[in-house]
Amino acid sequence: MLALMDTTLDDWFAGEILVHEAALVRYLLRWWPHRDDVADLRQEVYVRVYEAAAKALPLQPKSFLFTAARNLMVDRWRRGKVVPLEALGELESSHVPADVITPDRWLTSQRELRSVVRAFDRLPPRRREVLWLRRVEELPLKEIARRMGIAQKTVEKHLADATRDITAMVLGGSDCPLPDGLQLPEDAHGQQRGH
Amino acid sequence: MASNEDIERIAAAWLVRREGGWSDAEQAEFQAWLGTSTAHRVAWIRLNTGWQRAARLKALGAGLPPERVPPPGAWPESYSKDDFTPAIPALGRGAPRIEVVSAERTRVRRPRWLPWSAAAALLLLLVGLTGWWRFGAIERASYATAAGEMRTIPLTDGSTIQLGSNSRVAVAYSRRQRDLRLEQGEVFLNVASQPGRPLRVQVLQRQVVAVGTRFSVRRDGETLRVAVTEGRVRLENATRRHVVPATLLPAGTVAIADQDGVHVRHLSAREMAALLSWREGLLVFRSTPLADAVAEFNRYSAHKLVVDDPAIAAIPVGGSFAWTNADAFVRVLEQGFGLHVERVRGEIHLRAK
Repeated sequence: MLALMDTTLDDWFAGEILVHEAALVRYLLRWWPHRDDVADLRQEVYVRVYEAAAKALPLQPKSFLFTAARNLMVDRWRRGKVVPLEALGELESSHVPADVITPDRWLTSQRELRSVVRAFDRLPPRRREVLWLRRVEELPLKEIARRMGIAQKTVEKHLADATRDITAMVLGGSDCPLPDGLQLPEDAHGQQRGH
Repeated sequence: MASNEDIERIAAAWLVRREGGWSDAEQAEFQAWLGTSTAHRVAWIRLNTGWQRAARLKALGAGLPPERVPPPGAWPESYSKDDFTPAIPALGRGAPRIEVVSAERTRVRRPRWLPWSAAAALLLLLVGLTGWWRFGAIERASYATAAGEMRTIPLTDGSTIQLGSNSRVAVAYSRRQRDLRLEQGEVFLNVASQPGRPLRVQVLQRQVVAVGTRFSVRRDGETLRVAVTEGRVRLENATRRHVVPATLLPAGTVAIADQDGVHVRHLSAREMAALLSWREGLLVFRSTPLADAVAEFNRYSAHKLVVDDPAIAAIPVGGSFAWTNADAFVRVLEQGFGLHVERVRGEIHLRAK
């Protein structure tokens, strides 16, 4: 199979693997007893998939991803010996979603925009403001600091946090554990106005 | 060993440094960090992907007063509905079915830019006093991009232009005028407001006049397309021979002009975002006929796609693709639509199986 340059591999990873993050997170949450570990597990699955793909690109990225997730959980359970064997057997034989390529899958543009808008509206006000001024208005960080009357360091912190939050919400969907204890409201799919 | 959460924090800090404009040394340091472990790399790809997605917010910025953050929920209904709007046909092939609407439908608002224009005028006065020779002089420059390339170019007046793939623009600034000529391809302009010194883009037999606004101009053979995301522009004939009234284009409209006339259409923020997605390095298709999608890709790629088979030219395709990645597009066609793909001497031929 073909070996790829880093940037191409990175693109492949974003386009074929990260698009399944919401489903991956749901899968991990279903099988893993500790919600707090899920973000960590997710990253570890990504590492395994990326390293495997660097050697040979999997033909069925989605099944490959979920198989990697299942194997990782099995490994961890075995090592930790905390989970009853039946559950382990169940996980091992659990259904891994197959790759189905339909033209529909690529018609994601509008859905994507909506998910970005929803995530954006859920950010804490300052992070939201900083993200808008940088990402939409493209103001320099210094100018944002001046405008908001805060230190540039603080702007940088808000922007970093906003990026992490919006990534988790946009890629991970509403079930995703968020960084820094930012919690989604209960009606994660409804319209939320104000904070 | 750093936890994944720590790594994510560090990746986010790198992204912010990039946004703040990083030095070569910082960039090298970042590359080194990226190479240290796969955990770093995947954390970075992930955050950068989130950041790219957030660029979609620009679609919402279109037509809003600049530099104000809209409150949560202040979006058009369409962002919460699952509707689909028909595609905007790509230019070039087939007659775009575009309704002609009155271009004068713009709402009259109290100009928010008044204080700014006063400030700009003052600044202009200062600049005029201290360095009139510089502005009095005619500045000339020409910028071009190769296929697959995109450049952002800051101009001396504070405006920036973003040049799409395979495009060429000539700049001629004088004291009274700011003239650009789009010779080929597409350009997006973020125009610094300078009252009394209008910026004009000459393209084909027309000119697009702006004062402090954002818009794109694209040239496709004998057809020209203007998309306005902010402020207002005036589309007029450059030649004096025919006296045709100028068309006023408010934010959120797209005008397509050829020898037969000008068609104006009001776009949703989404449609506008799709039209300008090339600035994010994306091509967005929505039920776009395959032939048009292919023509779009060919603007960007050195390896031309060729539709060999008239039977497949009209297949509607959808999705968003990095324009650097024609391979992904071809893969979808191959796997999702069952097309036969053949690579011959740097060209990629498509036909039904």
